[in-house]
Amino acid sequence: MLELGLIVRALLRHKMAALIIALQIALTLTVLVNAVFMIQDRQASMARDTGVNETDTFYLTSRVFAPGYDYQSEIPKDLDLLRHTPGIIDAVYINSVPLSGYGGYQRLQLQPGKDQSSIIAGDYLSDDHLLNTLELELIAGENFQPEDVLIQDSNSAQLPAKIIVSRAMAAQLYPDNWQRALGSTVYVDENVPLKITGIVKTLQGAWHFWDQVEATIITPVISLTDAGIYLIRTEPGRRDELMPEVEALLAHSNKNRIIRSVTTLQDTRDESYREHNATNKILLLVVVTLVLVTAFGIVGLATFGINRRTRQIGTRRALGATKGQIMRYFMVENSLITLAGIALGAIGAVALNIYLVETFAMTPVTPDLIVYGAIAVFVLGQLAVLYPARKAALISPATATRMV
Amino acid sequence: MLSMNNLCKVFQSADIQTHALREVNLSVNEGDFLSVTGPSGSGKTTFLNIAGLLENHSSGEFLLDGENVGALKDSARSRLRNQKIGFIFQGFNLIPDLNLYDNVDVPLRYRGFNARERKQRIHSQLERVGLASRMKHLPAQLSGGQQQRVAIARALATDPRFLLADEPTGNLDSEMAQGVMSLLEEINQQGTTIIMVTHDTELAQRASRSIQIKDGRVSEVPPLMKRVIA
Ligand SMILES: Nc1ncnc2c1ncn2[C@@H]1O[C@H](COP(=O)(O)OP(=O)(O)OP(=O)(O)O)[C@@H](O)[C@H]1O
Ligand SMILES: [Mg+2]
Repeated sequence: MLELGLIVRALLRHKMAALIIALQIALTLTVLVNAVFMIQDRQASMARDTGVNETDTFYLTSRVFAPGYDYQSEIPKDLDLLRHTPGIIDAVYINSVPLSGYGGYQRLQLQPGKDQSSIIAGDYLSDDHLLNTLELELIAGENFQPEDVLIQDSNSAQLPAKIIVSRAMAAQLYPDNWQRALGSTVYVDENVPLKITGIVKTLQGAWHFWDQVEATIITPVISLTDAGIYLIRTEPGRRDELMPEVEALLAHSNKNRIIRSVTTLQDTRDESYREHNATNKILLLVVVTLVLVTAFGIVGLATFGINRRTRQIGTRRALGATKGQIMRYFMVENSLITLAGIALGAIGAVALNIYLVETFAMTPVTPDLIVYGAIAVFVLGQLAVLYPARKAALISPATATRMV
Repeated sequence: MLSMNNLCKVFQSADIQTHALREVNLSVNEGDFLSVTGPSGSGKTTFLNIAGLLENHSSGEFLLDGENVGALKDSARSRLRNQKIGFIFQGFNLIPDLNLYDNVDVPLRYRGFNARERKQRIHSQLERVGLASRMKHLPAQLSGGQQQRVAIARALATDPRFLLADEPTGNLDSEMAQGVMSLLEEINQQGTTIIMVTHDTELAQRASRSIQIKDGRVSEVPPLMKRVIA
């Protein structure tokens, strides 16, 4: 570089101004990297596949207030009614809806007996129609048969012989090879055996914030209560039109029925991640504000420095500097300050991240994010100095003799 | 060498036109020491700026070494300034943030000399003006006369053929002015063409040629008259 030494030495005569802007850049990088990381982290968790058809599905809760209501026989009738409604592809009675924040779980253990290590799994209680209703992808084994399904009162603790598990659950049971899960027996309640007869690719549980949200099982049990959930999949594009129709249909079929919360899976998902989205928006606002403040800081400092040096710039032009060389001078000067800021900021970013990791159990930031952040901050600095540098280049060489 | 034919300079601001130079016809030859005098606002700096490619003229012709420099692009004019012209200013115009060594280095960097060549030129120029021992000093640590000597060293480091000076002694007391003037005479004797604007008639008379500018018009002061004035 033509003038690097001279630029460095001149810069060192104005350490304070340079240092202040370098610190601002350092702070920007520190916050930028961590904020972007936190945004990405949330985006990644929101982007995870639920494994289910979210676009054509909705659900509602049905509760019947009537003495002597026989839900043992009435619920299968409701299901029959729903499944034969035009536009509805399939429907199930289920205990919980993915990402709804409300659901059940089971502890599975590979060996029977007390004090065996166990794995917690989100538990869906439904029947052989669930795979079709949620459009789950069966990647091993087979679906339940109608005769596998136990229809029982929710107080009854009887368990079926078979379960289907998600692949993530299978991998937790058999970390070396998830396929070994198929056909194997696991135990619940210490010694009740269940045979794994099917594996679905993905099925998220009820709680998005749980780190084991992917570990789920499907138990073929219709656990009857007076307030169950009907989960329904319609033909593509007919969901919104069928929601009120289904509501009316069920209401009509039983005058004592109260239907609540007719909700799409999409809305449930959005609701579930609302806080995530809001936090990301705030973080984004912080990042944008910080970047703008820093950019204006650089523009301000550069403009100030150029105004202070107007005569000197004219003199340099008189001594033979081209416009390009004047411009380059300020770009290089800025990049030196920015690089110093980036060096400090990279240290700051790692330090802040270590603090966040230790205090809030966050995952550590990846080095590539710091590299991208550094590049972004560098480009920001160069863009911010572009306009002042251009103005400096336009200072007339005659300034050397005209300005006393 | 350097010739102006019917050269005019008009400053055009909002609604006023200032005729800073009117139909200048002049040629300066290799080895001349030309002094320029005239009342304030008469156009001396304008003349020097045009001669030194710091400003463009409005009409007429200006040839530098036979080349019509009015048509050149800004970058080519910059390069010519760096190669052929050295400047000395009334306010010295040293770069306050750089020490003497680095100040002299500035035009050499623009020329693109290698480090060894630059070092050698800086040392020999600072020695010539008697300030080699102070090259790590900042301009503010020197007297005005010393600063102007550094400026001369900087102007000469690129071996320019022309040295243009606008009131080089204007900010100096008479003793320091004499020192700077002797240095300029020595430089002229070694072959550098000098154009010097000055208010000081005594210094002006020490030049080999003198011109006077009045209201933008240039007239040569004949040698005879110079003696009469003296
Ligand atoms: N950029 C400009 N715009 C408009 N008018 C200008 C400009 N520069 C100089 N002038 C005018 O041109 C005329 C000549 O100015 P110049 O600076 O050449 O005078 P000078 O002889 O050097 O004066 P001094 O002895 O005070 O330095 C003056 O009337 C001045 O006001
Ligand atoms: Mg002047």
